[in-house]
Amino acid sequence: MTIGSTFATVGAAVVLGLPLAGFLVISLGGRRLPRAVVRWLGPGVVLAAFACVLVLLAATLLRPAADRSVTVMLWQWLQLGVPKVHGVPGALGFNADFSVTIDPLALVMAAIITGVGGLIHVYSVGYMAEDQGFNRFFAYMNLFVTSMLVLVLSANLVFLVIGWSMVAFASYALIAFWYERPTAVAAGRKAYITQVIGDLGLVLAAFLIFVSLRGPTGALLHTVSLPTIFANVGPGPHFHNGLGGSGSGLVTLVGVLLFLGAAAKSAQWPLHTWLPDAMEGPTPVSALIHAATMVTAGVYLVVRFHPVFQQAPIAAGLVAVVGIGTAWMAGVIGCTQHDIKRVIAYSTMSQIGLMIFAAGIGAYSAAIFHLFTHAFFKALLFLAAGNVIHAVHDEQDLRQLGGLRRRMRLTYPAFLIGALALSGIPIFAGWFSKEELLGSGLVLGPVTPWLWVIGVSINALTSFYIFRVVWTAFHGAPRSEPAEAAREAPKVMTIPVLILAGLATVAGFLEVNFAGWHPLNLFQAFLQPVVGVVRAHAAAGADAAALVAGTLLSVFGLGVAWLVYGRRLIPADLVSRRLPWLYQLSFRKFYWDETYEVVFARPVLRLAEGLTRVVEPNVFDGVVRGVRDAIGALAQDFRSFQTGYFREYATVFFAFAALALLFLGLRIA
Amino acid sequence: MNPHLFTGFIGLSVAMLSIGAVGVLVRRNPLVVFMSIELMLNAANLALVTYGRFTHTMDGQVFALVVIAVAASEVVVGLALITGVFRRGRRLDLDDLSELRE
Repeated sequence: MTIGSTFATVGAAVVLGLPLAGFLVISLGGRRLPRAVVRWLGPGVVLAAFACVLVLLAATLLRPAADRSVTVMLWQWLQLGVPKVHGVPGALGFNADFSVTIDPLALVMAAIITGVGGLIHVYSVGYMAEDQGFNRFFAYMNLFVTSMLVLVLSANLVFLVIGWSMVAFASYALIAFWYERPTAVAAGRKAYITQVIGDLGLVLAAFLIFVSLRGPTGALLHTVSLPTIFANVGPGPHFHNGLGGSGSGLVTLVGVLLFLGAAAKSAQWPLHTWLPDAMEGPTPVSALIHAATMVTAGVYLVVRFHPVFQQAPIAAGLVAVVGIGTAWMAGVIGCTQHDIKRVIAYSTMSQIGLMIFAAGIGAYSAAIFHLFTHAFFKALLFLAAGNVIHAVHDEQDLRQLGGLRRRMRLTYPAFLIGALALSGIPIFAGWFSKEELLGSGLVLGPVTPWLWVIGVSINALTSFYIFRVVWTAFHGAPRSEPAEAAREAPKVMTIPVLILAGLATVAGFLEVNFAGWHPLNLFQAFLQPVVGVVRAHAAAGADAAALVAGTLLSVFGLGVAWLVYGRRLIPADLVSRRLPWLYQLSFRKFYWDETYEVVFARPVLRLAEGLTRVVEPNVFDGVVRGVRDAIGALAQDFRSFQTGYFREYATVFFAFAALALLFLGLRIA
Repeated sequence: MNPHLFTGFIGLSVAMLSIGAVGVLVRRNPLVVFMSIELMLNAANLALVTYGRFTHTMDGQVFALVVIAVAASEVVVGLALITGVFRRGRRLDLDDLSELRE
């Protein structure tokens, strides 16, 4: 018994039920529901769910550390484990209940989803105020929050997959929200197709676990319950190795497939191309889905399945290398993009890459801590960018902005705080989490020093591109008429931004453990019952050196951005003139879209064209024509039966079906 | 499963099937006929799932899933046909659409 099963059941049901109820009411109400109701209901249910998460969090914190995880069943869905009636034992025990786990990891995720999500909902009331689809927007947003909560709370593979796919659908619906824009629809489709590739990985991994996990006696378990799976995967208190033990082919395959799912959700190479295009959606969507929550689901998945990855060093190494590689690549791309939202999108991809890297090397707590601070400062950056876009009438091109510092006196400092936190400048939240993450890289990484060097060099890229945005968008002279006429956003949009700015400033202090100072590891201590303590401390000297090096590189990137875009002492086209190939590589996003176009899209289209030209008219139509002629010749005698009236055919069909049933019934009787 | 509940579900399934069959026979709008066919399919699904539950086997549920898949593909084809007819400027009336006898 932990926080009281009844308490946990009611709490989880309320947390999940509120956004679901919001979705149902708003979507069924449709246009009849006045906006005045929706503008309270939409954000209200999410904030109420957040309050409930806080109550659960408080109840959990009151428990001793070893006693903070509880799994309760909300709903008995499929139950097919019972022996067959005629004495033959059931072939397969299969029970899929909707069970939820309330533990520190799930609570942290749920708090981010409902807390940051609630603020973004409030912001959306202002951002979407003039949109035709106001009600539809909030219905989708509530659906998204529900799906995400199902994903993180589920204690069961089946519902994990269901939440996973619902999230993908909600994301699709919100990216393609402005369905009159062909680009938005195409972006939604691209995102969804990528998600389905990832779903395939997750589903296959789930199948593999289901059919091959063995219990302590060596018998197949056939279970989908996550706690049971985790208890049997690795060498626990009772030595099981239910998936074949450390490094076996099976557990490695499961790990790789899980990571395929995680890579699609978290926009990691090679499934990363959908995220920048997803910026076609409304900006609050980018803040909620493509910064704070959905894209972090991959990190959550790897951390949640850490018992599997601990048994699969090859898969975990792959996770780490792909993560750091994506982080670096996205950082390089971010430096040359012109769309303000795309720059932030690439920075998201880059930061998620760092989290995935940390999860791959086993620094689970550091990964989730960065996820936590990132949710604040990245949502902040997106919402502040949303204020800018709103103020300049949907202009997103950095070259058309400028000089907004004086016109947006609240948004500017907020964006600046977000940029400082993202860059990892001391005392802002990102500094603490990023340095902890990179510090863990130094201690735990498989080929430690090299991955760490790549990791810290990303710091310089990050601060360079985000301060490029700061200087081009907010400083200098306005470069277009809308930028000149920009006005600060209404209160309903600035207040959530300012709250997030406050959080992005102070959230880091939950975890102060640099270089042997008095360690204050509140966050790590809270997560420890789930993920264990994995961070072995390096020698204090190396840790301090890493910290100083990382911070200096961030400051260096900031300084370069200042020299180039602030003081204009270095010409901005220096790289594009001297190293055009490097500039093009970055500007063209490493040519991944073009590669996929050539490797996948075109061959398929060409094949389809060939089939239409050759196979369709000759083979298919030929067969159909042959059949038609043969039947036509046969049917000359039966023509008079054909009246052409559908209902006569249906009557005859039903009549004969009834006769057949009657006959069968008489036979049995 | 409680036998009363079982009878109830089967009864509901029979009722749904009959309503659907009547709909197929008496309505002339292909869309409504289509919905009635869906109703009949779902009546069958309900019966399958009920029997599966009653006998504690998975077969009914699995078969219902197959029916759902078939119904989905049928909807794709059927709706495409109906929109195709409509875009040719035809009235959506089944009695009008009877030139196949020619």
